[in-house]
Amino acid sequence: MNRLHPFSAVVYALRYGLLWLWVPFFLVTALAGTVAAVSIAWLPVVTALGFLFGAAYGIVYYYRFEYGITPDTFDVASGVVARRSREIPYRRIQNVDVRQGVLQRVLGLAVVTVETAGGGNSEAALQLVSKSEADRLQHQIRRRTAGVDADDPDRATSEASEDGRPLDDEPLDEQPSRVDRTPETPPASETRPRREPTEPSRKRLFALDSRELLLYSLTTLRPAALAAVGFLFFFATDTILDFLVTLSQPFGGPQDLQTGDTQSYGVLTVVSMINGIVITYLVSVAYTFATYYDFRLGRVDEDFVYERGLLQRYSGSIPAEKVQSVTITDNPLQRLIDYAGLWVETAGYGPDSSGGSQSAVPMARAAHVHRFAENLTHVETPAFASPSPIARRRYLVRYSLIAAVVVAAALALAQVAPLERWYLAAVVFAAVPPAAHLRYVHLGYYVGEDHLVIRRGFWRRRTTVIPYFRIQTVSTRRSVFQRRLGIASLVVDTASSRTLFWDTPTIYDVDLEDARGAHRTGRKRLQSALRERARADDAGFSVDFT
Amino acid sequence: MESLHPRIRLLWIAQTAILAAVLGAVLVAVDRWLVPVPTAGLVGIVAVAAVLGIAYAVRLYQIWQFELQGDALYLERGVITFVETAVPFVRVQHVDTQFGPVERTLGLSSVVVYTAGSRNADVRIPGLTPDRARKLQDTLRELAVESEADDAV
Repeated sequence: MNRLHPFSAVVYALRYGLLWLWVPFFLVTALAGTVAAVSIAWLPVVTALGFLFGAAYGIVYYYRFEYGITPDTFDVASGVVARRSREIPYRRIQNVDVRQGVLQRVLGLAVVTVETAGGGNSEAALQLVSKSEADRLQHQIRRRTAGVDADDPDRATSEASEDGRPLDDEPLDEQPSRVDRTPETPPASETRPRREPTEPSRKRLFALDSRELLLYSLTTLRPAALAAVGFLFFFATDTILDFLVTLSQPFGGPQDLQTGDTQSYGVLTVVSMINGIVITYLVSVAYTFATYYDFRLGRVDEDFVYERGLLQRYSGSIPAEKVQSVTITDNPLQRLIDYAGLWVETAGYGPDSSGGSQSAVPMARAAHVHRFAENLTHVETPAFASPSPIARRRYLVRYSLIAAVVVAAALALAQVAPLERWYLAAVVFAAVPPAAHLRYVHLGYYVGEDHLVIRRGFWRRRTTVIPYFRIQTVSTRRSVFQRRLGIASLVVDTASSRTLFWDTPTIYDVDLEDARGAHRTGRKRLQSALRERARADDAGFSVDFT
Repeated sequence: MESLHPRIRLLWIAQTAILAAVLGAVLVAVDRWLVPVPTAGLVGIVAVAAVLGIAYAVRLYQIWQFELQGDALYLERGVITFVETAVPFVRVQHVDTQFGPVERTLGLSSVVVYTAGSRNADVRIPGLTPDRARKLQDTLRELAVESEADDAV
């Protein structure tokens, strides 16, 4: 069994010390008021004692934390008083991630997390090991994970040759191609998937060049940015309000918040809204830029490995065998410049809060992304079928109802507030036909030979490729209205856990017969794919996740 | 296709009755502390809610059906949104039988089938006699083991 990096002892000592010093602090503060024997003057002494106790606990925690690689499992034993020893079978490991914060990069340290499919958080987190140890672990676990499923001779020899080289798992940035990669002139071939003849075990699949990174940052909006700005506003409300008032003054805003007429308050509102939007957008751009800075994706044997980040560096591996589905995303801006992104979903939890979904290609030319997805899944170019034309009528009615609610709200507001011309709110009806049309035209599905391809959404369009082999359940859903119109929605559930932000892949509003047909096909192809895989396993072939 | 045990209607009607009672209590509270509600209106609202609930329970019972097919457990259910779900046996992670206090009094039991999926990850078949539930659990378990896929999520 191994220990963590000695520096972890310092980190744990500080962490537990700072935590524990509060316990006697609050205890003494509370008791001093009620019990005569306790004096508030003890505070400095008891706080120091609390800190010392916590620090000692942290150091013991460090000494009692052990991890090790065994032939079949990755073991972690931890706990000072209550011991927990956990053995994670390699075949259950979804991905291994290495994370480095700014300070950790300076000190050459890293955090390693191991994910399996179950549970809401990481199965094992090694808080602070040296970077080289992190890379070694990632490499070892990955190799063993691949080794468990593989008993074919080809793989065995490639592993043997790997063993011959000492610690061959160089970090990606040591690659020679990095040197000639200048931001001004990104070579076009850089972004194409290709083999690296000099590096048999590691194949570069994709690297985000600076142009793509900029375009990606500029065209992506992150809800996290909105949350961050909201958080900032919550904590520095007064300062920010003063700042907003000052900014609006050149345009006729009020002198301060108390004095002002309707018009100057109106100006303040409009200017502040514009400022808010601009600031949120800039935060979002900066966030995306820092997160996806220097992104690269590679393939080692049966795993995808990626690295990214400006301040905090992430590197992770996704076993190809564990990929559940692949999704191409684009928003209207990205469609306009003909770019798109590619995500892969696994059943585990990634280093982001975004569930088991990892960005494989944050942004690249749409044609390139499609080719990449096709190479990855071997899916044929999909010929999308549209949902039933009745669906468009349905969206027309649905959006009209929403517009009617908006107008009703304006009317209700006019009853309590001096709002003249509330009926101008009826302009929202003008947006109804285009909205219904846009929703309709971006829906599509394709029932392929080995895959189901589902496209949906306008603001954030997602095209998901689901191998039949990965289907968990299929449901045909019909609401009261859908039954009346003779249409149905087909929900195809896979084991990928990205559901908080993304809905389960659904084919919306197709004719009942088409939905039932796709339902039957999905079930049938799942069974035949399973049989095929079983045969292939017996014959000793390695089968990709398709 | 197999239907649920008729007594499940009693369970669902009991649930509706509880909901209607809660609604009535809320209305009484509103009447007492906020706005006066005419007694006739109060009784009327509760009665309508109860009748709707009973109609829903009866209809739901008529619609609820399930079947063990060649490759999957197939279910049909839903009054407002009608859902046909297929749960392939290979995807069954584990099977539970459950019964709550009310179900127990009525001599009923539920079978819950878990998959690794994200949504609809657990499928519940309510309103089975305990014997039928145990038999279904055993059958499903056997079918799941038989068709075990070695693809390990």
